[in-house]
Amino acid sequence: MTTDIARMRNIGISAHIDSGKTTLTERILFYCKKIHKIHEVKGKDGIGATMDSMDLERERGITIASATTNVEWGDHSINIIDTPGHVDFTIEVERSLRVLDSAILVLCSVGGIQSQTITVDRQLRRYNVPFIAFVNKADRVGANPLKVRDQISEKLGHQSVLMQIPIGLEGAFLGLVDLVAMKALYFDGPEGEVVRVEPIPAELAAEAAAKREELLDAASLFSDELTEALLEGRATEDLVRAAVRKGVLARKLVPVFIGSAYRNKGIQPLLDAVVHYLPDPAEVENRAVDLDGEGEERVLSADPAAKTVALAFKLEEGPYGQLTYVRVYQGSLRKGEEIVNTRSGQKIKVGRLVRMHADTMAEITEAGPGDIVALFGVECASGDTFCSPGLNLAMTSIYVPEPVISLAIEPIDKAAADRVAKALNRFTKEDPTFRTHVDTESNQTIIQGMGELHLDVYVERMKREYRAEVRTGMPQVAYREAVSQAVDFDYTHKKQTGGAGQYSRVIGRLEPLAKGVFEFANEVRGGRIPREFIPSCEKGFRAALRKGPLIGFPVTGVRVVLNDGQYHPVDSSDIAFQMASQGAFRQVYMKAKPQVLEPVMKVSVEGPTEFAGNVFATISQRRGVIVSSVEDGTFSRVDAEVPLAEMFGYSTVLRSLTQGKAEFTMEFLKYGRVPPHIAEMLTEQHLEAERKKSQR
Amino acid sequence: MTLTVKEELIKRSPLRVLEKSISGGLGRGNIGVLASRKGVGKTACLVHIAADKLLQDQHVIHVSYASRVDHIVTWYENIFKEIAKKPKMHAALDEFDDLIRHRVIMNFKQDGAKTQQVLRSLEAMIVHGNFRAQTVIVDGLDFALAGPDDLLKFKELAGRLGLEIWFSASLKKEDPQFDERGIPYELAGYLDVIDVLISLQHHGDHVHFNLVQDHGRLAPKDLQLKLDPTTLLIAKDVPVRAR
Repeated sequence: MTTDIARMRNIGISAHIDSGKTTLTERILFYCKKIHKIHEVKGKDGIGATMDSMDLERERGITIASATTNVEWGDHSINIIDTPGHVDFTIEVERSLRVLDSAILVLCSVGGIQSQTITVDRQLRRYNVPFIAFVNKADRVGANPLKVRDQISEKLGHQSVLMQIPIGLEGAFLGLVDLVAMKALYFDGPEGEVVRVEPIPAELAAEAAAKREELLDAASLFSDELTEALLEGRATEDLVRAAVRKGVLARKLVPVFIGSAYRNKGIQPLLDAVVHYLPDPAEVENRAVDLDGEGEERVLSADPAAKTVALAFKLEEGPYGQLTYVRVYQGSLRKGEEIVNTRSGQKIKVGRLVRMHADTMAEITEAGPGDIVALFGVECASGDTFCSPGLNLAMTSIYVPEPVISLAIEPIDKAAADRVAKALNRFTKEDPTFRTHVDTESNQTIIQGMGELHLDVYVERMKREYRAEVRTGMPQVAYREAVSQAVDFDYTHKKQTGGAGQYSRVIGRLEPLAKGVFEFANEVRGGRIPREFIPSCEKGFRAALRKGPLIGFPVTGVRVVLNDGQYHPVDSSDIAFQMASQGAFRQVYMKAKPQVLEPVMKVSVEGPTEFAGNVFATISQRRGVIVSSVEDGTFSRVDAEVPLAEMFGYSTVLRSLTQGKAEFTMEFLKYGRVPPHIAEMLTEQHLEAERKKSQR
Repeated sequence: MTLTVKEELIKRSPLRVLEKSISGGLGRGNIGVLASRKGVGKTACLVHIAADKLLQDQHVIHVSYASRVDHIVTWYENIFKEIAKKPKMHAALDEFDDLIRHRVIMNFKQDGAKTQQVLRSLEAMIVHGNFRAQTVIVDGLDFALAGPDDLLKFKELAGRLGLEIWFSASLKKEDPQFDERGIPYELAGYLDVIDVLISLQHHGDHVHFNLVQDHGRLAPKDLQLKLDPTTLLIAKDVPVRAR
């Protein structure tokens, strides 16, 4: 096990769901001698690949799709960090992208760039993650890795360059020509474990020479040394690799590798490429937010002797008890030393510290910058940052998107109820976008999240991991209310029935706020409302916002300006001003022309062109707006904005309309105005429900 | 009665000058073509025409060949920004988000896209997608690949669905590109199908608009319009006069 930071790689394997990520990971583990036999993913057409990997894990007791797996390739140590494939898991994606330093983008030789690939690429761009591309499935009918390479430039807008060309394709895919070494590579032995190096076949010599020229042209942009060497005819393999590496690190060049994980071809050169072209932890700039200042960012240093900064990115309840996966960014984690959770302020002592391998774990006493290790028995939530005492930094943004959908769940029996509670407790710790509460009126347990699938997965996990079965209700959209017009208020709260009286008066203005949920401005002069009661007023307004009078959903985008009022030396109190503020809100709310807002999703549908008309129709029927449609021969993609409320059951509809040939992804985009007739319907439903409640 | 910001924008648009010169506009069921050498500014003009229709609350389909969708989106954003830069027009920008919902971009890869398929998808968008477009912008159709027959098929669709379709035509021939009547040699075979043909030409540092054909009449005429090189908007070309 190396501790030399230059020999460490923290990589993610990012892929479209059918591109063979599980098979590739399996092969990597095999060639790195982490597992001793290759087990095939069931259903080799790739359908249900994610489920397969979960089953594999369970059967074999290893953690392929787990938080991280450590492998060794030559004298390098590679941590493979799992990246969730679906956009519903925004927080998890953000977190895993923080943890990895670089990635392999896996593409399919047949399918090429698809909407999920574009999503993944956007995430890599957002977090500035350098990557190399692996075009998999070169053995498949219709495989065209060179076209996929062109798509990387055209559709993703990256400067890309072939590092290899295939020897044969489809059923005749035999091996690769390495354009740096200018050698042919074949993969022999029952599992392709023997790499045989041969001269380039004569019939490929011309193509190889031409593609090498392209490679040298692209690489020399990043290295004057290489340019000079090329002019003098003394370019070495090392010079070429160093230049490509510079391009990759700057995110200005994407080297493209080819292979077939299923046929055991091209994996060893890909592992070499991870070592050659992807950065070590010290080459990546990491930043953290300073919680003591005004949110400035601090650049962290990969110095093991500096003060410690580490991020807890995943909690896992394994056979060994509760594990907290952490990545160290700065300084070191040492057994027995004290660290502080900067979210809770809680101090903890580092107890057992382990490094996870695919099937075992090793006790260690110290972990340095770039290391990914697990802590035992630490109470924290994922996303928490640990620092040495005296430092107060946070690795992840504090911003958590509000859930857009909710679902009522009910345990099927008493025994399940306890396990449900346990499961929910765990999930909410792991994932801040997943929330749960008990509705006080219906007494039902409500779970909330970022999409239908997001909640489905948790319901499924309850069943699988906690044997807790639940009945579910209909998914509910998280509507919002918002005011659209400024209004003045002047409200007096008076109560004089027995005991101490209550008196308070608030005067001011309620206005729409373009960005944010709520803003409170105090412009009261001359002590017309004593200072100690100003927070009471704010509290009162906040309470009123929780449940809007229109449809009973939270009110958002409100600014309250308090500019005058009155008090009574005896009868005014905290509660009196809270009451006055709530009263003022109720009094003028309807005059502020309230509107109903609904979550609008960004939807992307892909499939054969022949179904484009059907897809247009489904979007239009769902109050959607088509933004664009792209047709490339027989393949088409439609991008649209559709209200979440209309998207329930869309996958079933789409499947039956397109014979299962089209698929879609969606993610939250924004809150948008609900059309008047639907807002009216929601208002009536709300009134009806309120009426029933009062009759009871 | 005072005009709203939007009405003011529409009224003052230099495109009104263009409409006046071509008997009130292109008209439904008709085909208009902007022809020039590559890089003169056809896309900018088409997007300006589209933006003008959007301001008038019309629906527009922007068909493009081989260009990336995000580039087209940026074109529109920039054109709207430029329009709103004029004095007192900032308020118009607030409406941009709503207006842009009336535009759909349809992107086709040239080599894979037969006109028949493009028309099928266009019709599907309008009929099945319930997108009530009045104007269609077609940018980047290769007139050398698509013959007069293809253009005729577009015209048939325009007539059937009541569309105005504006094309850009990239002229690739070496000089001279135009015959003595100002007709681009490459488009001579298409004149029967084209209702309005306008050529864009560099004159010194300006791009000028010449009306070549107006609803069947060959009527060479300088439209007194230019392409503003900084805003990439079509602008009135006011001759410099001494005060």
